[in-house]
Formats: sequence, C-alpha cells, structure tokens
Amino acid sequence: MHPQLERLQLQTRRHFLKQCQLGFGGIALASLLAGDSPASPRYVINPLAPKKPHFDAKARRVIYLHLTGSPPHLDLYDYKPELVKHDGQPCPGEFLKGKRFAFTSGVPKLMGTPRRFAPHGQGGVWMSDAIPHLHGAADEICMIKSMTTDQFNHAPAELLLYTGSSRSGRPSMGAWATYGLGTENENLPGFVVLISSGVQPNGGKNSFGSGFLPSVFQGVQCRSKGDPVLYASDPPGMDRELRRHSLDTLRDLNDLQARELGHPETLTRIVQYELAFRMQTSVPEVMDITRENKETLEAYGAQPGAASFANNCLLARRLVEQGVRFVQLFDWGWDFHGTSPAEDIRDGLTKKCATMDKPIAALLKDLRQRGMLDETLVICGGEFGRTPFREGRTAEGGVLGRDHYPDCYSMWLAGGGVKGGYTHGDSDDLGFSIARDKVHVHDLQATILYLLGFDHLRLTYRFQGRDYRLTDVHGEVVNGIVA
Amino acid sequence: MRHPPIQLTLIVSLLTGWLTLPAHSHAKPPLDFSRDIKPILSNKCFFCHGPDASQRKGGAEGGLRLDTAEGMTVDLGGYFAVVPGKPAESEIIRRISSRDPDEVMPPPATNKSLSPQEISLTSEWIQQGAKFSVHWSYVKAVRPDLPALKDNAWPRNEIDRFLLARMENAALKPSPEADRFALIRRVSLDLTGLPPTWEEAESFVHDRDPQAYERRVDRLLAKPAFGEHWAQMWLDLARYADSAGYADDPPRTIWLFRDYVIRSLNANKPFDQFTIEQIAGDLLANPTEEQLVATAFHRNTLTNNEGGTNDEEFRNAAIVDRVNTTMAVWMGTTIACAQCHSHKYDPLSQEEYFKLFAFFNQSEDADRQDESPLASIYEPGQEEQPKQGHAEIIPVTVPIMRDLPVDKHRVTKIQHRGNFLELGAEVTAGVPAAFPALSEGASRDRLALARWLVDENNPLTPRVIANRYWEQLFGIGIVASSEEFGSQGEQPFHPELLDWLAVKLVDTRWDMKAFIKLLVTSAAYRQSSKLTPELESVDPDNRLLARGPRFRMSAEMVRDQALAVSGLLSPKMYGPPVKPVQPAFGLTAAFGGSTDWQTSEGEDRYRRALYTTFRRSNPYPSMATFDAPNREVCTVRRVRTNTPLQALVTLNDPVYVEAAQAFARRIVSGGGSSPGERARFAFRSCLCREPNDQELAQLVTLYERGAKHFQPQPEKARQMAGDPLGTLPADFSVAELAAWTVVGNVLLNLDEFLMKR
Repeated sequence: MHPQLERLQLQTRRHFLKQCQLGFGGIALASLLAGDSPASPRYVINPLAPKKPHFDAKARRVIYLHLTGSPPHLDLYDYKPELVKHDGQPCPGEFLKGKRFAFTSGVPKLMGTPRRFAPHGQGGVWMSDAIPHLHGAADEICMIKSMTTDQFNHAPAELLLYTGSSRSGRPSMGAWATYGLGTENENLPGFVVLISSGVQPNGGKNSFGSGFLPSVFQGVQCRSKGDPVLYASDPPGMDRELRRHSLDTLRDLNDLQARELGHPETLTRIVQYELAFRMQTSVPEVMDITRENKETLEAYGAQPGAASFANNCLLARRLVEQGVRFVQLFDWGWDFHGTSPAEDIRDGLTKKCATMDKPIAALLKDLRQRGMLDETLVICGGEFGRTPFREGRTAEGGVLGRDHYPDCYSMWLAGGGVKGGYTHGDSDDLGFSIARDKVHVHDLQATILYLLGFDHLRLTYRFQGRDYRLTDVHGEVVNGIVA
Repeated sequence: MRHPPIQLTLIVSLLTGWLTLPAHSHAKPPLDFSRDIKPILSNKCFFCHGPDASQRKGGAEGGLRLDTAEGMTVDLGGYFAVVPGKPAESEIIRRISSRDPDEVMPPPATNKSLSPQEISLTSEWIQQGAKFSVHWSYVKAVRPDLPALKDNAWPRNEIDRFLLARMENAALKPSPEADRFALIRRVSLDLTGLPPTWEEAESFVHDRDPQAYERRVDRLLAKPAFGEHWAQMWLDLARYADSAGYADDPPRTIWLFRDYVIRSLNANKPFDQFTIEQIAGDLLANPTEEQLVATAFHRNTLTNNEGGTNDEEFRNAAIVDRVNTTMAVWMGTTIACAQCHSHKYDPLSQEEYFKLFAFFNQSEDADRQDESPLASIYEPGQEEQPKQGHAEIIPVTVPIMRDLPVDKHRVTKIQHRGNFLELGAEVTAGVPAAFPALSEGASRDRLALARWLVDENNPLTPRVIANRYWEQLFGIGIVASSEEFGSQGEQPFHPELLDWLAVKLVDTRWDMKAFIKLLVTSAAYRQSSKLTPELESVDPDNRLLARGPRFRMSAEMVRDQALAVSGLLSPKMYGPPVKPVQPAFGLTAAFGGSTDWQTSEGEDRYRRALYTTFRRSNPYPSMATFDAPNREVCTVRRVRTNTPLQALVTLNDPVYVEAAQAFARRIVSGGGSSPGERARFAFRSCLCREPNDQELAQLVTLYERGAKHFQPQPEKARQMAGDPLGTLPADFSVAELAAWTVVGNVLLNLDEFLMKR
C-alpha cells in the first residue's frame, strides 16, 4: 500500500475519511469513551474496524486447525486398496525419478495402510478407524484428496501454506483476513493463535505474523497459563478501580495535550487505552472455559487449566462466538516418521488422534447447534502429506512411519460455505499423484479468501512498489467445493 | 483494498505537488514523463507493455512497449501508440478512454482502469510533445540552484531554502521555533535515542551562547549513545539477529557485527568505507579483524538446520537474500521479482539478476550448521590479559564472508523460475545495464561491486542514503517509499532538495555525522511541532514541513526511555546479547530449544534494547508489539502503529512496572517533600518541560487518591511498589511509594512521553 495511505489509515484523519472513504469505518470518539468524552467528537480511523469484503461472504470467520508436522493422510482419509495389495514391494522407479525426499534415498518399500477404512455419512466420506468421532461429522466435512504443495521441508512448507511464500517476510493468512475484514469485537484481538502440545509452529511466529502489513494485524498468541493475552493483567497490587482512576488521569492529561498541540494521533492513543482497558476484562472472560457447562467440557474432552488441543478447540468456539475473525490452532506431534513408537501409524496414531478426533467432532457439532457453522469456516490439515512408502531411515525397524510428501495429500474443510459430506479430487491408485482436480495450496488460499468474500487478486497491499497478495502470483478458486 | 481510482489519483497528485500549486497559475505547467506520466503507465500498463518481454502483449513482434520512447512510437501498421503533439491521433488515448469493453485499456479483467485525470494528464503530455525522460532516480544528481525566496530571514541553511520555496508556493508560513525544552528533548532523542536529564535540559535552556544549540548537537553526536541509537536502523537493514532462523532457529554468535556497527557509527566512519568493509572487507589487501567482522553483514542470512533439507537449496536462498538486501539497502531497488522473471516495471532482466548473484556466489559458506567460515576474534582487552595457565582465553567466533579459491569457483547459471535445480545459460558477474558500468579493469568480485555501490557516479546510493537519514529525523522520507526508488516507488516530494542532499553527501566524502548535523541544525527541524487546523487540512503528513516533526518513538526508544527516566538503564556497552524479563510461554521452537529464557542477572536486565537477544522465531514480545521487525529479511522502513496491545505493554509489562517503581523511589528521594514538588519533579523528568497548573493538579490528585487507597492495604502497597523491583527502602512510607508508582506508571504512558515532539 501507498505509504501515505498507510499512515493516513493508522492515524486520525478527518479530512481523509471525508474525502476518500477508504472503506475503514469511522467511529465517533465520544461513543468509544462511554459518552463522557472530554475530547471533541472527532473521527478515528481504526484499522480493525469491521469492513465489507468485495462481495457477499459465505463465511464470516475462520477456525484453522493446523496439525503441525503433517498427519499421515493415507492412514486417515485417503484409502488406497492397491497400495495395501502391494505393501512391502519396492517402490516403482517411475514414482521416484527426479524426486527429492527429506529422509529417504534409494528404493523404499510401498506401505499400505494397516488401518481399517469405511465411507461415512450420507456423502460417503472415507475415513479410517483412527478418528471414530469424526465419522459422525462426515456430513459436515468437505474432503480434498488432491492437495499439492511445492515444499517438502516443514518450515518452508508451512510458510508457503500460511503466507503464500516459502521464504520469510510475508503476512500470514489470518493477518490478510483481519486486514481485509477487521474484527467484529474491538475488545478482543481480531486474530488469535492457540498452541498445544508444547511446541510452536515450524515457521515460528511468521506462521501467524503480519509480515509487511502493520503489526496490528498479527496473530495474538494466547496462553493457557498466566495472562491469556500478554500483559492483560494489572500489576500486582493494583485493582480495577485504581486502574480506572489512573486511566482517567492519563486520558485527561492526553486530552490537554491534544488540545494544546492539535495532534489527532493523541486522540487515537486515548482510544487505544480505553480499548486496552476493556480488553483486560473481555480477554480473561472469553478465555475462561470454566464458564462452560459440564456437558460441553466433556463433549470436547476439555479440562480447565490444561494446555490441550481439546481446550483450544473449545476456546476457538468461544472466540469466534465473540466476534474474533480468525482463530488459528497449532498442535505439534503429527510428524509420523516412525522414529519412535509415538510416530507409529498404528498405536501411535491412535493415541495422537484421540487428542484431536473428539474435540474436533465436538467443535463441529457445537458450532452447528449454535447455528454458527454456516458462517464459520473450519479447516484442518498439515503443511504437506506423507509418502505412500516407508520412510528410508526407519524402514528396517519395527515402527511404521512415512516421509514428507508434497505431491498429493488430503485435508478437509467444513462449514462456512463449503459442501458437506463431499469429496473433492482424487489421488492415483497408489496415492503418488493427483488423479483429478488438483488443488494447490495457493488455490486453497484463494478459496478461503473467496469464502470470506474476497477476490484474492484484489486483496492487495502495496509494499516495495508492488501490490502483494496472499496467493503471490498464483491461485484459482476451487469452485467445486463451494456450496 | 478497494480504492476508487479517482481518489488514488488525488493522493498521487497531492504528492507530486500538482494540487498544491498556487491557484493563479493558469498556464498548464510542463509535464515531466518520469515524474507525471511514468507512474501512471507503470501502475496500469507496464505489466503487459513493459520491460518483461515474456509478458508483453499487443503491438507488433515482441509486443507493444510503453516504457521506452522507441516502443511508444513504433509503427503499429499505419498507426502509432503515441503521436507526439497529437493526442487525438494517438492510439493509446483512444484505447484508455474507450468505453467499449473489448477495446478499453487496461482490459477490464485486470481490475485496473485509468481515472479521467490520468487520461487527461497523459493526453496533455502527448499534446506537449510526448517528451521522454529516463527514470529520475537513474540519473546522477547534480547540485540544483537554490531557489529564490520572498522571506530570506527564516532559512538557516540550504535545506530551509528548498523547503521554504515550496511553502511559499503553497502560501504557507513556517512555524515558530520550538521552545528550548522541546528542542533539546527532540534533538537528544534523535541523536542518542535517550531523553536529556532535567539538568541537561535546563543548562541548555539557560545557555546564552548563540551557538548553544550547535554545540549541544556536537556533544550529542560525540556520545557513545549516538552509535547505539543509530545502529538500530542499520541492524534492521542488515537483518541482524542472534539466531539462525527457520524452524529450530538455534542461537548464532554474531554480536561482534552489532558492535562493529556501533563502533563504526561512533567513529563516524565514512559511509563509503563502511559499505566496502561490510560487502567486501575480506577482499581488501591485508584485511584487519574489524574488516573481517564487518563482512558478517551478509552472514546474517538464515541457515536452515531442519532435518532433511538440502544445503545447496538454502545456500542459494541465502545468496538470493544477499542480492535482494544489497539492492534494497544501497540502491533502493526491489529486485526480488527478477529472480524468477524479468522485472515488470524497471529495466532489470532475469539475466542481470543472476549477474549480481554471481558476485556473491563464490562465498565459501553453504548453509552449514557450524556456520563456517568463521573468524576467531579476541575482544578488545582480551588479548592483553596475561595468558596464565588456569584461565585460557577463548576467542569469540563470528561468521564471515570468504571466497572459495579460484580453482573451486562456482559457475553461475540463470535459474528458471528461481528454482536452483532448473538451470539455464551461464552468466558472469556484472551490474545491470540501466546503471553505470563497473569501472574499467576492475576485478569482477564483491570488492568491485562494493566500490561501485558507493561510486560517485552511482545515481541511487547517495539519494537512498540521504533519504533514509531524513526519514529517521523527519518521520517520512522525501521519497516516502524509502524502500523503492524505481518506477513503482514514490516521486520525491522535494526533488531538488533530495538531489542537493545527495550531492552534499558525496561532496563531504560521506561524513554522516556532518550530514545529521546539517539536518538537525536546519530551521525546519527546529520548528514547533504544533499542528494548526490549517496545517492539518492542507498538509496532514507534514510533507511541506511547515512544522516540526512529531511521531512515535521506535520500540527500542520506548523501552530505553522508560529505563532512563526511572534510573534503571545500564550504560554498559557491547558484548553478548542479554535476556531481560520476558513472559514464559512454556513452548519450544519446532525441533529446537525452549522459547522461554533465563533472565539475565544484575545490570544486564536493564541494558539498552539493542542488546536484547534477538531470536527470529520469537522476537522480544513487547518490542514486536511496537513494530520492531523479526529481522528475517532486510527491513528498510518500519510501520508505526498505535494499538491497544501497546497500551497493555507499557501499562502492565513487568519491565515497565519495575521502571515505574524505580521512578517512584527517585521521586520520593530526590523530588522534594510536598506532593506538589514531587509531581513537578516527576513531570519534568519524563517530559522535559514544566507542567501547567492543570497538569500538576491531575498528578497530585491521582497521588492523593492512590495514597488513600494504599494506606489501609499495606500488602497491596508493597506489591505495587516492590513487585518485581524488590526490597523497599525503609525510610519512606510504603503507601506513598505505591501511590507514586501509580503516578509514574501514568507518566510513562502519556502520549507525549511516547512521542518525539
């Protein structure tokens, strides 16, 4: 974006709002200050104010469930009887030629899934026995079996998925969504990140960063212990009443300055402090799952005080319910190489899925029951897929694992304008390549933006003389999955 | 974002000065292609009719080209895109003003269109003869004549003459000089990143010497804190961090580079020398240790240690970053797009990209976990210590640039679509044809490139550097897009002034302290920053500089100032990065160590922000909230935001609470005895001015309310005044200290405190 426009947006610009109507909503300062404003009623341009997208949106908010490391889709979603038939046989050379793999060289052995598969729901979406609770949600699920990406290492693949580029420096998907739509609740961050299983994403904070967009659009990482949002608690010894008094003094002193020097940014700052004060109350409230009833906690398998994926699924619902635009979950531990029993696609996968299957099924059901699923896009997947053959390093051991695989994999979406009980695309008989309806991660990005009401070609930001977008120079909307 | 084109035009016109011309000039001013027309064509037409032959559409063989005079006037079969002097006969005018969706340019599918004003400008330019000019920034600056003025009393130096000429044109008058307190605070913050103490401010205010300000500037430029403050800008450009990046993001020992930057700035190393040392210090004859450390500039690239990664792939990624960073830092040119295809807007081909790549392709480093090659350096003072048996002195190692022996030189080939496995024709090191050639007979290595970057004939570097220093002090560059000086960048708001400054830099042999002094001693810089309703409506971004600069401080300054005012700030310089208090997340990096850290002991908790350990995947959270970048790639310009999360940092982050507690102890021990005296002391210490009666009353009232609140609650008071700072001084009432902590917390959060004003 034009540097001027950027500054104009982030600062208070009466004249600009009047003349240019950039699309940022104006809000009267007086109304923000609970009616007793000492300041004259001017307009404040709030970069997070709700904005209209390019066209009618199917989805108003997103919950993205990232299974960091990338789950073995051939043992969860994509059933390949031919691969089972050829289990243990050397991988045909045609599938290896010109390919690079992270941990496999030479000729690996094909590996059919040891899991039992069946079609579920009216739409007959195939799933394995590792995710029994999701079977019941099959008719909400839009399975894509023809995903592909360009990267086969975790960090670059995750960056490509979330920022459109495998190199650092670009804004993340949630940042783009918040930049485009603002937030529906100013008392909460517009883009919230929840992390479970103790490890942050492969891309570090870049996977939810704002890149070259203003930092106000970056994902705010909420914690399960301590302040849920950093520094939301008043310092020890200060109660709310005293904080209110101190903020009143701060506001009055700032207002004297605003009158003296006439700088509208001073008024913007007053507004930010008032928002912060309210955020101090609203964030702990929304993050407090003890406010949920026992049945709900049990449905999700959530336990107050824990730092679990289950808790985060429940929090995701609470957050979108309160108007948060984009909730991004990262759960570590899906990198099923077979280097330890936890990474075995039999017992290891069963155990890992037990932490994910029930909460996600509960989330979908909960959103449906509250009438929110149609407007909430839920997405679940990893940064790439896993090989139809056994990983090279662990091929001789007793643990069954698969290597990283970018060419063809599965993931799913639900709610927010996508077809439920539907399977899009397919892989070939052995799962090596896409048989039909290829969906590149850039296409997925374009589709997510489309569902949020954006033409991905037009949701741009001028930086270094170029209009950047999430989809880089690629991306086509996957119309086939749109309801 | 959707912005209706007509409104965008309005802004562009404002920037190029069109609408600010006095209303009485009826004759149409001569249009300049580079300034007035090229930005329109670049934005709307060059994608299909520009330098990139592979994307070019229309016209005869090779497609229609609108970025060159030949291309525009080529015979298209009896008709011409542009017929100089005859807009009605020019096909381009017919097409851009057509209402037929099959005819109109740009085609509707591109989502682009020309506004009526853009069409009329283009038409007017053709009417005036369609004179073509090379892009302004590709032409070497020549010293412009100083403009004639109505008011010759105001200017203090040449900068002011250029600015005043423009103000007079817009019927504006400069603002009066800022009061002495505001001025000393402003210049102290700008030169050292730290506020003056009240005593320093007072001594300046009462200094009758007519040269008092200039002498003060000299003194500030000589302070060690100068280099610490100005290093931040350079470290953003150098993407300096204390970790290697990507998923596991392990620690990297490269802080000797940070110290090199501070020392070089403090020593006022000429910028050309500073450049040559960093790009090619290793290739100088008998390089010193310092010159080797300097080359760590380009070892700040990321290293990918994730299992299963191809080292050659990420070695290439690092070289790409070196090319992009070099072109961004010195040439203000975004070249990244030419890695995959010829540039769409500027005359930079993919082949030329890889010719630049070839300069960096002989470096020995190869995405290795050990970061080799390394230099072992004994810190100043280290080698003098007696090497007695028990304590062996271990040198600090730092990654450096070192080229492979000639017989092992790599061959550089064009990489199709930027993919290191899809190779095309071989290329040799060289610079793009649009820029001046390398000097005859020079070797084709990094040293030649470095010298070329700062050669007096390089049209870009002096402008880019002058603009960047200007941006630091005035808040917005003369070219607002300080990261982009090409076709897609901004036009300079004051082109003559920018050229004058660029020439000045070269003429003074890149004396950067002298350059800064020139800027801060101008009358423009010294103006009051008060914003009148008139100025707010005419010039909200202060491009005309009819008032002094006022904008929020950087993340580093916000922290340093709070620590300085509270008395906690450690003056210790240099050395390994430190770990001040940061909140725990209980997480580890992917395949890496904990993202939490053990807080440093003693004064290392309170060092200046630039010494804070910079882990790329987890930048220090409070600084990230105040728009510090993550230093993974070169950052030319930070965006300044104003958000509620920033308020939470300065209100509640233990670092700032501790500062308020320490400040409270200063207030009660050194600020007099009555609440009024103490409030005055506190106010002056923070804001460097006397409070007015209302302001004083507000603070005293808050203090009294706080004292009353804490009197019956000693435990709460102890927490407020002592957690986390620690043991309370026995000679003061705890409730009093707690109440002053609350007052201090308010002062450290005032808009005025966070602003340079």
